Amino acid sequence: MSYAYLFKYIIIGDTGVGKSCLLLQFTDKRFQPVHDLTIGVEFGARLVSIDTKPIKLQIWDTAGQEAFRSITRSYYRGAAGALLVYDITRRDTFNHLTTWLEDARQHSNSNMVIMLIGNKSDLETKREVKKEEGEAFAREHGLVFMETSAKTSDNVEEAFINTAKEIYEKIQEGVFDINNEANGIKIGPQHSTGNSSIPGGNNRSSGNGCC
Amino acid sequence: MEYFKSGLKSVLGTPVVDDQPSGADIVERLVERVQHSTLLADRRDACRALKALSRKYRIEVGAKGMDALCQVLEQDRADAEIASYALETLKLIMNNEIYDEEEIPDITAKDSNKLGERFTEIFIKKQENVGLVLDYLEEFDFHVRWPALQLLLLLLTNKAKDVQEIILVSPMGVSKLIDMLSDSREVIRNNSVLLLTLLTKSNANIQKILAFENAFDRLFDVILEEGNADGGIVVQDCLNFMLTLLRNNISTQNFFKEGNFISRILPLLQLPANDEWPIQRINNVHAVLQIIRTLVSPTNPAQATSSCQQAMHTSGILKAMCDLLVANGVPRNPLTEAISTVAELVRGHNDNQSYLEAVKSNGIPSKDVLVLLLWSMLNDKQPFEMRCAVLYCFQCYLYRNDFGKMKIIQKLLPLEKEVTETCASHLLCQGLFSKESLSSWFAAVALSYALIDNPDGKEKLLNVKLASNDPNPPTLLQQIVSSIQTTDKAQFKIGHLMFLSTWFSHCSLAVESFLKINNGIPYFITQANRLENEEIEEIVNGLSTFVMGICLAFNPETVENFKKDSLRHLITKRIGVETFMDKLNDVSRNESYTRASKHPQPTAQNPQSLLLDYEFCKLFKMLEGMIMRALNTLPGQDDGEKLVSNQKEIDELKATVDELKTELTEKTNRIEELCRLANDSRDDTDRMKTELFRLQENHIALMHAYQLKENELESYRRLLAMHGIWNENPDQQQQQHQHHPQESPMFGGGEFTPHHLQQQQEPTTVTTGEEKVYQPMLNEHERNELIRNDLNV
Repeated sequence: MSYAYLFKYIIIGDTGVGKSCLLLQFTDKRFQPVHDLTIGVEFGARLVSIDTKPIKLQIWDTAGQEAFRSITRSYYRGAAGALLVYDITRRDTFNHLTTWLEDARQHSNSNMVIMLIGNKSDLETKREVKKEEGEAFAREHGLVFMETSAKTSDNVEEAFINTAKEIYEKIQEGVFDINNEANGIKIGPQHSTGNSSIPGGNNRSSGNGCC
Repeated sequence: MEYFKSGLKSVLGTPVVDDQPSGADIVERLVERVQHSTLLADRRDACRALKALSRKYRIEVGAKGMDALCQVLEQDRADAEIASYALETLKLIMNNEIYDEEEIPDITAKDSNKLGERFTEIFIKKQENVGLVLDYLEEFDFHVRWPALQLLLLLLTNKAKDVQEIILVSPMGVSKLIDMLSDSREVIRNNSVLLLTLLTKSNANIQKILAFENAFDRLFDVILEEGNADGGIVVQDCLNFMLTLLRNNISTQNFFKEGNFISRILPLLQLPANDEWPIQRINNVHAVLQIIRTLVSPTNPAQATSSCQQAMHTSGILKAMCDLLVANGVPRNPLTEAISTVAELVRGHNDNQSYLEAVKSNGIPSKDVLVLLLWSMLNDKQPFEMRCAVLYCFQCYLYRNDFGKMKIIQKLLPLEKEVTETCASHLLCQGLFSKESLSSWFAAVALSYALIDNPDGKEKLLNVKLASNDPNPPTLLQQIVSSIQTTDKAQFKIGHLMFLSTWFSHCSLAVESFLKINNGIPYFITQANRLENEEIEEIVNGLSTFVMGICLAFNPETVENFKKDSLRHLITKRIGVETFMDKLNDVSRNESYTRASKHPQPTAQNPQSLLLDYEFCKLFKMLEGMIMRALNTLPGQDDGEKLVSNQKEIDELKATVDELKTELTEKTNRIEELCRLANDSRDDTDRMKTELFRLQENHIALMHAYQLKENELESYRRLLAMHGIWNENPDQQQQQHQHHPQESPMFGGGEFTPHHLQQQQEPTTVTTGEEKVYQPMLNEHERNELIRNDLNV
C-alpha cells in the first residue's frame, strides 16, 4: 500500500491500562475484554488520511510491566509519536505518569509528540481520576489530552489521528527532519526523491503491495 | 623505570638475560603504572606495553590488568589512543585462539583454549563494562570504533546469551549498534552485520527492536549497493542476518509483510539467464530462499502463511521462483531448494496452486513443469534430495486443492480420450510398478495425496484398469494387491500399503472391492502373523494390520465371509487382539514414524530409510483409536455400525434439511409475492379512497351550490310574483329545477366547471348536512333579508 509518510508511534503506560486494547480497537475495530499480558513489544499498522494524504501509522505497543521497562526504552528513540495511557479508574496509573514522562523525554528525540490518554471512560461509576485532573496534567507538561474508551471505541480514532495531525503539522512547519529516519518518520516510496537507483521493476511492484 | 625498559626490551626481542624479571613482574609493574601514573602519556605508554605483552603473558595481563584496563576505558575517554590500546588489549586476552608465543603454565594447559571465554566471563560480570564498550562505539574515530566493535563481537561469540541480555537492558544499547550499519567505512559496516547477527540470534526482543530501528530497510539498501544476488559475501551476511531477525518470530514476520519488504526480495531472484553460477551466488540465493520459506512455512499460523503467500504472488516472487525451476543451468542444490520453496509458496493456497499448474518449460515442445518435476522424481539417476523435494512440491500442490486432486484422478479414468502427451497421472501410475522400489514408493505416496479428503475420487479410482493386451485387464486395485504379494522389497510394499490405507479409509466401496479380491485378506493375515526381527519388516507387518483394521472399521457388510463380525472373529482367532495392537504400535513406535510426523517435508538420511509419510502418519494417528474400538466392541453393539447408521441418519437428515430449505425458499418467494400484491392493492385502495373522498366533496359542493341557486331562484320568483310579472317560461324554470338533482349525484359531463364550483363553494364552510337541516327553517324575515341583499348586489 502506498503512503505519503509513515509515522512510528509507541504506546506506553502502566500495565493493564488498555494499551493493547487501544491498538486492537484502532487496527481491527474490535475489543478483547480479557487482559492478555503483552510480552516485550507487539506491532500493528493502519493507513489513515490526513489532509487528503495517505499516512501509514506503524504502532508499537509496549509492555507496561516494570520487568520490560528497559526493553521498551529502546523504542523511544525511533518514535515520532507516543500515546501515554493511564486508567481513569486507577489513581496509581495516573500518579505514575511523571515517571513515564521523564523516561520518555530522556530517551526520545525532543520533537516527539506525546498525547495523554485517560482510558476506560466507559467505566464512569468507577472513576478515580477526574477529567479536569488529566487536563491539568496535560496543560502543565505541554501534552495533548483526551479521554478514550477502547471498549466502546469512543475517541480512539481521534486519539491516533490527532497525534498524526500534530506530527504532520510539525513536518509542515519544518520542525522534523524527515530525512532522518531515527525521528520515526519515513517518506513513502513514491514520494521519496532519492530512490532513482531502484530499478523500474521494483517501483512497479511496490505499488501493488501486500496489504 | 629500569624494569619497565627491560620489559619493553624483552618484548622487542632483545636476548633475555637471566637476572631480568619474570613476565609476571613486568606485567604487574605496567598495570601499576596504568592505574597510578598521573601523566596521561605515561599511562598511554604502559597501556601500549601491556598490549604488546598480552599475547605472550595473556594470563598475567588478563588476571592482573583487567580492572586497570576497564578503569582506562572509564576515565580516559577523551584520549583516543589510550582507549584504543585498552580495547585492543582486552580483545587479545579474550580471544579464544592460542597464540604461538603464548606461555602456558601447566596447570591450565588442559583447557587453555577456554581462556578467552573465562576472561569474557570475568569481564561481563560487571555489567557496566559492556556499557563502556558500547559507549566507545559512538566514537567516530576508526581507531576506537573498530577495536570496540571487534571486542563486542568477541564478547558475543564467547558468551552470547549473557551479553545479549546486558545489551538489551543497557540504555539505547541495541540502537547504538544498528547505527553501525550506516557507517561509510565498509569494514565497520560489514562487521556490524556479523555482530548484529550474533546479537539477534534467538532473542525475540532484540529482533523486534532491530525491526523497529529499520534494520530491514538498511539491509536491503546494503544488499542493493553490493549488487544483489551477484554481490559478495556481504550480501550473504546481510541475508543471514535478515533470516535471524525473522526466524520463529511471528511479530517481525508480520512487520516484514506489512512493511512491504516482500517485494524488495524480488531483485535478488532476477538472475541473468543461462549464466554460470559462482559459489557466492549459490550461497546468496540459498539464503534468499531460506527467508522466503521462513515467511510461508507450514508451521506458521495458517493466517500468517496464507497472507504471505498472497503477497508473494502479487509481488512477483512466485513467478520468479517458477522461472527458476525451468531456467537452464541452475545447479543441483539451489534447484532442490527452489523446488521446496515453490512447494511452500503454493501449499494450501488455491491461486498459487493454479499458477504452478500452468507453468510450462522453456523447451520445444514445452511441457508442464509439474510433469517434468515428477519425471525427475521417478528417475533413479536424479539426486535423492531433489526427488524428495519434488514429492514435497507435489504434495503441497495437492494440499487442500480439490480441483487438482480430481484432475489427477480424472486423467486415469478409461472414459478419458486417449492422450498422446504424458500427464502427471500416467507417470505416477507407471511409477507405481517401477522396478526401483524408491520410485514406486514416491509414486504411491504422490498418488495417495490425490485421495486425501476426496471421497468421490476414491470411488472413481476403483474403475481404473491397467492398459494391457489382456482382454480382461486387471483393475488398479487388483494389480496393487497382487504386486504387494509378489515383491520382496519392503519399501515397495510400504508405499503401496500406505496408498491402500488412504484409499480405503472412509470409503466402504473401496473396502468392498478389496474384500472381493481372492487371496486378499488371507495374505494380509499371514503377513501380520509373521515374526520379524528387522525393523523395516515390522513396519510392513504393522501396515498390513492397519489395512485390515480399516477393512473392519469401514466394513460395507456386503461381502460374504468378510462381514464385520466374521472379520473380527477371524482377527481374534488368527492373530489375537493383543498381537494385533502390538503390530499397530510397532508402526507408531518406529523412528521413521516420529521423523515423518514432524514436518510435511519428506526427509531421510538415505534413500533406503525413507519409509513413512507425513500425511499417512496423520491418518494413522486418526484411525488407530477407531480401529481399536471396532475390534474391541462386541457383536451387535458396533461402533462402526453405529457410525455407518449415524452417517445414514445424517444423510437422511441432510436430505430433509435440503428439502425443507427448498420449501422455505419457495414459501419465502410466495410470501414476498403476496406482500407485493397486498401492497399493490393497498395502494389501489388508497387511491380509490382519495378519489371517493374527492368525489364526495365535489358532490357536497355541488349540492350546496344547487341549494343556493334554488334559493336565489325562489327569491327571484317571489320578487317577480310580488311585482306581478311572474309569467315568463315557468316550464323552463321548472325544467332547470328538475335537472339539477338528477345530474349532480351522477357528477356527469362538464356542466359544472371548476370555476363554477369555486365560486359557489367560497361562501359555504358548513357542511351540506347542516344546511339541509337549516334550509327549511329559514323564516320569512331572513328570506327577505337574503332577497334584499341580492337586489342590492
